[in-house]
Parts: sequence; C-alpha cells; structure tokens
Amino acid sequence: MPTDLSQAADARTFRPSPHAKRGGLRAGQGRFGVMLLLPALIAFSLIVLSPFVQALGLSLYKYTISTPEPIFVGLANFKKLLADPTVRGSFVTTAVYVFFTTFFSITLGLAWAIILNEPFKGRNALRGISLLPWIMPATVSAFIFGWIFNSRYGVLNAVAMEFGFIEHPQAWLSTTSGAMTAIVMVKVWLSIPLFMSFFLAGLASMDREQIEAARVDGAGNYNVLKDHILPHLRPVILVVVVLGMIGNLQQFDSIYALTGGGPVRATSVLSVEVYRRAFEQWDIGMAATIGVLWVATILPPAYFYLRQLMKGAE
Amino acid sequence: MTELVIQNLYKRYGEVEVLKDINLTVKTGEFTVFVGPSGCGKSTLLRMICGLDEVSSGEIAIDGELMNAVPPSKRGIAMVFQSYALYPHMSVAQNMGYALRLAGESKELIAERVTRASEILKIDDYLDRKPRQLSGGQRQRVAIGRAIVREPKIFLFDEPLSNLDAALRVDMRMEFARLKDRLGTTMIYVTHDQVEAMTLADKIVVMRDGRIEQVGSPLDLYHHPENRFVAGFIGSPKMNFLPVTGGDGARLRLPGGSVAAPRIGKPFEIGVRPEHMEITDGAENTLTGNVLTSEHLGSDTFAYVQIEGVERPAMVRLDGERQITHGEDVSIGFADSAVHYFGSDGLTISQAQVPAAA
Repeated sequence: MPTDLSQAADARTFRPSPHAKRGGLRAGQGRFGVMLLLPALIAFSLIVLSPFVQALGLSLYKYTISTPEPIFVGLANFKKLLADPTVRGSFVTTAVYVFFTTFFSITLGLAWAIILNEPFKGRNALRGISLLPWIMPATVSAFIFGWIFNSRYGVLNAVAMEFGFIEHPQAWLSTTSGAMTAIVMVKVWLSIPLFMSFFLAGLASMDREQIEAARVDGAGNYNVLKDHILPHLRPVILVVVVLGMIGNLQQFDSIYALTGGGPVRATSVLSVEVYRRAFEQWDIGMAATIGVLWVATILPPAYFYLRQLMKGAE
Repeated sequence: MTELVIQNLYKRYGEVEVLKDINLTVKTGEFTVFVGPSGCGKSTLLRMICGLDEVSSGEIAIDGELMNAVPPSKRGIAMVFQSYALYPHMSVAQNMGYALRLAGESKELIAERVTRASEILKIDDYLDRKPRQLSGGQRQRVAIGRAIVREPKIFLFDEPLSNLDAALRVDMRMEFARLKDRLGTTMIYVTHDQVEAMTLADKIVVMRDGRIEQVGSPLDLYHHPENRFVAGFIGSPKMNFLPVTGGDGARLRLPGGSVAAPRIGKPFEIGVRPEHMEITDGAENTLTGNVLTSEHLGSDTFAYVQIEGVERPAMVRLDGERQITHGEDVSIGFADSAVHYFGSDGLTISQAQVPAAA
C-alpha cells in the first residue's frame, strides 16, 4: 500500500483508486443513469415496444382464421381499409367521441376546479370526494351508467317519467345518439377529477391581488374568467386538451362495457373496432392495420404534448 | 367635495377583532398615511375602504354616501397593490386602459388618458411592453398609471414601495410627493415605514392592534405624541425611554441622574429623542453613563451610552465630526423642553398648561 505520501508526490504518479472507472465521473454518472432506467426500459420493451413492432409487422400480412400461417400481402391491408366504409365510419365515430368527451371534460373540469378553488366550509372533503370517479375502475363506472340508462329499471327512465318528460320507458342505449351520449357521459365523468386537479394546481398559482385589482377596475365574473383566469391557465389548458385527446382516442374499457360498440356500429370507435376485428372476427392482420392507423392519429397530439413538456423542463 | 368618513368601524374574523372602533375623517385633497407595525390592521382598513373586505359593523361613507355595500369599482376609488398586481398577459397600455375598456369608454378617450398618464409617469416609451419586460420601478409606475387613468376621487396605496430597493424607494417617494402636488387628489397610503409616513403625509394615522393610536400632522406627532407607543414609533432613530425611580416635588430621579419634575401628574417613564441629547455637562438635566459603542455616518455620529439600571443603551445624536472614546464615562445633557412624560398607563402627561421651561 502506498502509505508514504511524500514518496508518491516525488514520483508525480498517483495510482487511481481501484474503484475509479474509465471515463471519469461523468461517464460513471451516465452509466448509473442507464442502470436506473433499465427496469423501466425492459418493461417498456416487453409490454409496449415489442407488441407494437409485431403489430406493425402483422399489418403487412393476411392473417385470418382461414389462414393457418400469416401470408405476406404488403400494403394490401391498408388499401382495403381505406376503401372500407365501416373503417371510415369508425374514424368519424372516434372523432365525434373525442371531440365531445374532450370538450365537456375540460369545461366541466374547469368549472368544478373554479368552484373548489373558492374557500368554503367542507371544501377539502368535497375535493376528496371529487376524486372518486378517478379511483373507480372504468368498467365499474360503465356498469353504473349501464344501470342508470337501463330500459327497464334504469334511474333515468324513472326520473324522466316522474317529471313527465316521457310517457314510456325508453331504451336509451339502443338509439345511435343515446348510446353515443351515454359513452361520452361516462368518459366525462371519469375524466373530470384528473382535469380538475390540473386546473386546481394552475389556479393555486394565480395571483390573488391580480383578481382583486381586476375587481376594482370593474371586472365582473365573466371578465375575470375571460381576461385573467383563462389567460393564466392557457399553458395548463393546452396540456389538458392534448392529454384529453390522447386519452379519449385510446378509450376502450368503458365503451366496450357499456355498449360493446353498438347498437350495430354506432359507438364502434377505433379501439372497439380493433378488438372486434381481432377477437370477434379473428382477422388479426386487419386489426393490426387499423391499430397502426390509430397510432398514427394519436402521434400528432402526443408530439405536441411532449414538446410542451420539454418546453416546461427547459 | 370628496370626503371619506369612517364611523365606529369594526372588522371581525370569527372571534378575532382585527379592527376596533375606527373613527376617521379624510378631507379632500389630503394625503393621509396609515402607519403602524405589521399586523396592526392598516392594510385591512385600506381594503375595507376599497371594498375588497366586508365591513363587520360600522360605516364607511364617501361624499356622504354610504359605501358599505357598494362594489369596489363603483366607489370612485383606485388602488395600487403591494405586488402591483399587473395583468401579466396585457401590454402596459392595455393594463392602464383596462378599467376604461370595461366601462365601455371609447378607444379615443382610453388612448388619450393612457397617453396623458404615461407622460406624467414617464413610461410612454414602454406602452407596448408586457409587465415582465419591465424593471421593478417601471412596474410600480404602470400600477400607479393604471390608477391615474381612472381619474378616481380617492387613491389607495398599499405599501407601494416595499418591493423596491432602497435607492429606488427614495426616488419613488419623491415621485409620490410630486404626484400629490400635481393631481391634488385625496390619497390614502399604507406603510410600516415611519420615514415614508413623515415625508409624504399631510395627516398620519398611527395604528396598533386594530386601533387608531393618534391622528395628526407629521410634526404634531413628532412633537406631541399622545402616548408612549406613538412617541417610540414616530421619529428615527427612536426616542430613548428611561424609567422614573423616585424623586421629590422638583426633581425626578432617573437611573444615572435626574430630570425636572412636571408641574402635574406622576410620571412613570420619561422619553427624550436622540437628537435632543448632547454629550455635555452644562445642561438643565444630565445623566451619566458609559459609552458602549458609536456609529459614524459622516453626517451624524450616534453614540450608544449604557446607563446603569437601563437595559437599552441610550442613543445620542452628535455632530458627524465628533470623536467618541468607547468605554469612557460621559454626561448626557438635555433641556427640560425636550422631555416627554408618560404615565403608568402609557399615556403622555400633557404639559400644555405648563409654561415652557425658561
């Protein structure tokens, strides 16, 4: 062991610590960072990346219940799909669904956040209860709404008849608009807590004196909202719109549990369509093709979201 | 004429009384300053005049009109907030014209008033900028401009200089004085800084623990404080207080010496301002003590003299060139007329009836 320091100094050579690795501190930190990321990377590769790559591959094959082995067909699936009116219908249904769910979750989430931002007794308890839909599994929520809309013993029928809006019980979920309204309502109900939390966080950083100054300047509730709260929440709204769109494009469980994509194809959004093609019609190739198109529609909002996040991180 | 009258005003938050029986009249064109230590209720009082906080009981009237239930924007007042509270996403011009825009005024009128106010405040070069592109002093001016544009009957300022650095604060203080002369509008100004109060005010309202301690002109408060609190709060550096330890009819015994007894009353404590003390043997009253330390500011020298039996060393203001030896025993001298007498209840024992010491 080199215990004589003066001798070592004379020789002008210092033996590096046996624990030191090549590349110095920075590279060591880099390696440590990769090690920390590794579990997540492995999980991501197994659960997300590899199925996605497989699906990407399958979209180029004809692979149905009548083909024992997948047959490579190139882009034929895509060609067929783009000419298929049912798939185009699915895109339209998805667009309608995403628009209404995103719009209502954001407006209602914002309204609820503004209410819960006001100081009143029992506010914290109400805030806690408001998170309930978020905690509940989506299928459970879907079944609750299923009961509400039920044609024979549903609460909606009972209430509507009690107030004299309808004379006979209605089969709400068996009409096109009724079924769409129902799945939108479930999703909005599920999304409000999350969006409300985003908005509450945004409102918490709002300068109270700014609102007071606006009041002194003569701003009523409408002007306070339009001229002060909304501009302040702009970055939050941007993120929430994008997150909402991504989430709503992906929504499956609550829709499938409530309507199964019906009546006929009225609520058959892309996620349901993929599921139906794959596990009801056993047309794996086509399902994969729709899946690829579906991912393509999610990519632009996802890109915006990530860019916004990066901006925030800078 | 714009007169603000406050009568029997109380503010309560549950059990806590923040303001207790406030009675105050502010006359037209008067520059009134509310001053007091933090937590004394001065900002709450201002916010109640503004209409941001509700009145628990009592009355606030402007021009004889009861204001208790009138919303802030209808009271004919404008407020400048401590944080300036500028609208971050609006330009300077939009900030200043916001109230007029809400009131539905024409674009020409808004532009004209904004231009005029910005010229007064010398911010006409920044009208297109956003608040975040401005310095602290410029933001302060925009906040004042926003108030001026509304042409209010009363301006309210809530600690407007507390966010500025020391040098800028002195400059802005001067601007306030200039603004007061130029506009001639009634102004109410809240601060915890008694120097700001002394330099700006026509009338100072000294507050403590939700009560008004004394109302008067700066010199009035300086020369005739009504109680020990006002005496200690107004004036910089602070007044020296000495307990009375005994005495006969002619002289009161103090730690380190004695002082002429007042004609009336039984003083518990006396006070003398540092600027009324000297280090000298030849004075009407003298106290002996030991020089603890001294501060040389160039213009003045402050000597801290420890008097036996007094916890806080007495401060004596001396000439800037005066040299003091630390640890030296000295005599502090002061005139009879410089002495303030306080009773055991903290109130001043007025010597108004007593002829001034010869």
